[in-house]
Formats: sequence, C-alpha cells, structure tokens
Amino acid sequence: MSDADIIQGLQKDLGAKALELTNPDRRRIFLKVAPADLVAAVTLLRDRYDCAHLATISGVDKGETFEILYHFASRAANINVRTEVPKAAPRVATICPVIPGAILYERELQDMFGLVVDGIPDARPLVTPDDWPAGNFPLRKDWKYERPEEKIPGGKP
Amino acid sequence: MKFQIPIGPQHPALKEPISLRMTVEGEVIRDADIRLGYNHRGLEKLAEEKSFLQDIYLTERICGICSHSHATCFVQGVEKLMELAPPKRGMYIRYLVSELERVHSHLLWLGVAGHEAGFDSFFMYTWRDREIVMDLLEMISGNRVHYAINTIGGVRRDLDEGQKAKILEGTATLRARSEYYFHIGASEPSFVARIAGVGRLTKEQAETLCAVGPTARASGITRDVRKEDPYAVYDEMDFEVGTADSCDVLGRVVVRVKELLESYKIIEQIVRKLPEGPIVVKAPRKAKPGEVVSRYEAPRGENIHYIKSNGSEKPERLKVRAPTLANYPATVEMLRNGFIADIPLIFAAIDPCICCAERAVTLVDVRSGEEAIVRLSDLRRRAAERGPNAVLKRNAPWPL
Repeated sequence: MSDADIIQGLQKDLGAKALELTNPDRRRIFLKVAPADLVAAVTLLRDRYDCAHLATISGVDKGETFEILYHFASRAANINVRTEVPKAAPRVATICPVIPGAILYERELQDMFGLVVDGIPDARPLVTPDDWPAGNFPLRKDWKYERPEEKIPGGKP
Repeated sequence: MKFQIPIGPQHPALKEPISLRMTVEGEVIRDADIRLGYNHRGLEKLAEEKSFLQDIYLTERICGICSHSHATCFVQGVEKLMELAPPKRGMYIRYLVSELERVHSHLLWLGVAGHEAGFDSFFMYTWRDREIVMDLLEMISGNRVHYAINTIGGVRRDLDEGQKAKILEGTATLRARSEYYFHIGASEPSFVARIAGVGRLTKEQAETLCAVGPTARASGITRDVRKEDPYAVYDEMDFEVGTADSCDVLGRVVVRVKELLESYKIIEQIVRKLPEGPIVVKAPRKAKPGEVVSRYEAPRGENIHYIKSNGSEKPERLKVRAPTLANYPATVEMLRNGFIADIPLIFAAIDPCICCAERAVTLVDVRSGEEAIVRLSDLRRRAAERGPNAVLKRNAPWPL
C-alpha cells in the first residue's frame, strides 16, 4: 500500500472525522481527529490498516492546548494520529481497550502533562516519585525546576 | 497462599534502579508489577533548553550501551528538519558505527544470557570477543562507549585504508567466533534445556503489547525498522531479518546470534562499498518550524524520536521512546506463570541487564500484610521440596 492509497482510504473511511491529513515525507502520514473520534479512528487503523503496533504517544504543550500524538507503525507507513484538547479541560479517552500496549505511554502522559486519561486501567504514577507534589507537571512549558536548597545533615545551620 | 516479593529498586545485583513486585504462589509467579522512575533524569525537558548541536551529546547519554542509537535517531530527524542531505561517505561511516555497536551490544547480551543461565564459559567467550569490536570502535571514534561520531550533516571522523583493513580483519575473526556460537547449542544441551520454554510470549501477545526488537522477532514477528522503513543506507544493503518462532528465551538467543551474522554482512558491505568524498556538510544553526518522526532500529529494538521545531535553534519538543520501555508490558506477560528462579533470565532476555542472586528476600503476606525475612537455607529447602515435581525440559532441540 503506498502513501497515496492510505490517504485516500483514510479519507473515504473517516470522511469528515479526518480534520487534517498530511503526508510531509515518504512513509510519514499525519492524521488529525477530534478527541471524541480518537478511539474510533484508532480502532479503524488497527483493524483496516495493520496498525496494531503503537510506537509511542507524545504530548506537546502548545500554550492554550495540549496536542497528543499517537505514533503507529504498520509495514506500509508510519501513521501519526493527533488530537488536541484544551488546557482548561485536559481529558482524553484511553485507547488501552484497543491497544493494550499503550498503558505505559498513557501513564507517562498523565505524569508529565497532567492530562486525565479517562478509563485508564491503571492510573498510578509511572515515572514521578511517590512523594511528588500534586499539580507539578514537568513537561508543561510553564513548569520550571527550582533546585531545593541543599542541607547537609549535621552541618552548620 | 500468595506472597509479594519486591526486587529492587536498590539491589546489589541490579545494574539499574527499577522495582519489580512479584506476586507469587509458591515458586510460581502469578503477577508482576513494574515501577519506574527511580532514575528519571528529566532529559526531554532539558533538551528543550539546549541547542540542536548540544542535544546530540545529550541524547548520546540516554544509554550507555546503545549510545550511538539515540544520537543517530536524533540527528537523522534534525537533518530532515533542516532539509540537509549528508554526503554518502558520512552516512556510510555513521551506519558502520551503528552496526558495530549492534555487534558489541549483542555479544554483551549473549554473555549476560549465558551468565544468567549458569553457562559462564559462554559469558567469558563472548565478552572476550566483544573486546575486538570495542577496539574497532575506539579506533574509529576514539572512544569505547560514547563515540560522539555524529554531527548534524554527517560524521566527525573519517576512515583511512588501514582502518578499513582492520575492520574487515576484526569482522572476519568475529564471524568465525559467532559461527561457533551458532552451533553451540548442538554440543551444549544443558544450556538449551535451561532456556527453552522459559518466558513464553506468544505472537498475539507480542503484537497486542507492542513489543519491539529481538523480543518481538523471537515471537515470530518480522518487524525490523531497517527492513520495514529503510532509513539512510539500509535500502542499499543486502541482509535478512533474523526471526525465531519458539517464543521463549531460546528464541531470543537464536535471533541475536542470527542478527550478529547479518550485521557482519552489513559491515563488510559498508566497508567495501565506502564511497569517496566529503564526510560532512555545513549545517545551519536553526531549523524551520516543523515536526519529524525519526525511527531507528537499535540493538534492543525500535527507537523513536519525535522532534518539533519552532524556528529557533532549540527544539520545541523532543520525545524519546527507548526500546526497553516498549518491552515492559510484554515482560510482565513473560514473567506470569514462570518460576522465581527464571526472573533474572526472563528479565535479562529483553536486555536491560538485571539479575537477582539474592541472599534474603522480603516476603509480604497478601492476606495479613506482614513482612518476613526468609533465609536462603529456607528457600533452598522449599526449592528442594518443589524440585521433584518441576517439569523438566529435557531434550529440547537447538534450532540452528
């Protein structure tokens, strides 16, 4: 299947749900869908386009919104599904029922961006420590790291 | 009765801090839980504050074994963003280092697998041979671990005729050694019996849990980025994707031995076909706004970087997914219904190098929540009690 075939097929199958469909490079396809259509689009990709392999999920802080990219790989192409959620209501549906291997990436997304993944089977933090202060999401652009003051135990006050 | 055994994060035998919590019923693992983040370095955040050139050296330090993989994955993405076409000779040298790195990583892993299976002479053989490729890498780049050969637009060091001859000579020695490993199982049935049937991961599980690299290929999935999405020089190379369909640790050994032989083939082709010309082109400081998905087949599997630029000299976002993370959900499945004694072997088989020669483990009773320290002698007695009932995998055939 060539890139053009995939784009044509996706246009036909998704119709108005495909908000944006680009092919910036050979074997790289970017598809944009609304958050509500995400699970349907992922299911379609898995069943019809041989995209059972999810390479990873990337989150991007775009100021007012969060962009979430699901990087799928099939034998024919690398299909990247993107969706945008407002920062005021950062909620996105889980794709774990469709792609069970997405669990670690979704947990990482929750830790790093403070996105809420609705229906995630395991919502525990993955990479942040247990005593991590609530409301700190390192990969948001407005988050700055401040090094805590070093105290030497038993040292001078 | 079910117990939970914590292994790590700080453990004398763990090379990396990771916490594994095993729910066991007797000697059988019923569930496993993996907790990460004990050594989170905030690298993606840091990369946003450094320039593209500085980020090469940053991404190189993601991993100590496949350092070249991350740097190359990043650089080939940035070159796409900057619309650069690196010269052919530079590309050949870059992917020559890639293949040499794969050889050293697989030899290292074979040694670890031999060690975990109790076959220490195999470990010493492979690690002795690994010195040959480490010396070659040092000769090419000046370093044994962080080669720092990549730069945006090409590579930083050229090869001369003497070096080419030495690479071919070293590869010939290694090929002879690897052919010996290819047949080792036929003369060493105890090694095969130890690893056959351990850590089963069916093809369906590997597919749904998005496993990558040798772990997936040992379950019969022919997914290799070099073949599937040929980047840079790989469409000019003649090689095959090594797979196995036994879906266990034996399969993972077989896949890596096959890949070693394929890597020698690629190395020889690269050295023989090395074109003349410059090794690097001048790169701009800034990249145009855009985004790119860069994929690379690291020794442990598919490595993916997502790079977004905003027109400045620093990336807007760099997302890195190392292959080991992709293999964790599959590891949990491999551990399930295995034995405690197989934990180091199974975990090592995805290649994050962890073993657990523990002297005392803390057992948590699931029902009462009480913790009890069990002495090694007690564990040994329990193992002896179970021993006569254990299934023995005698006469497992060596598939090569």
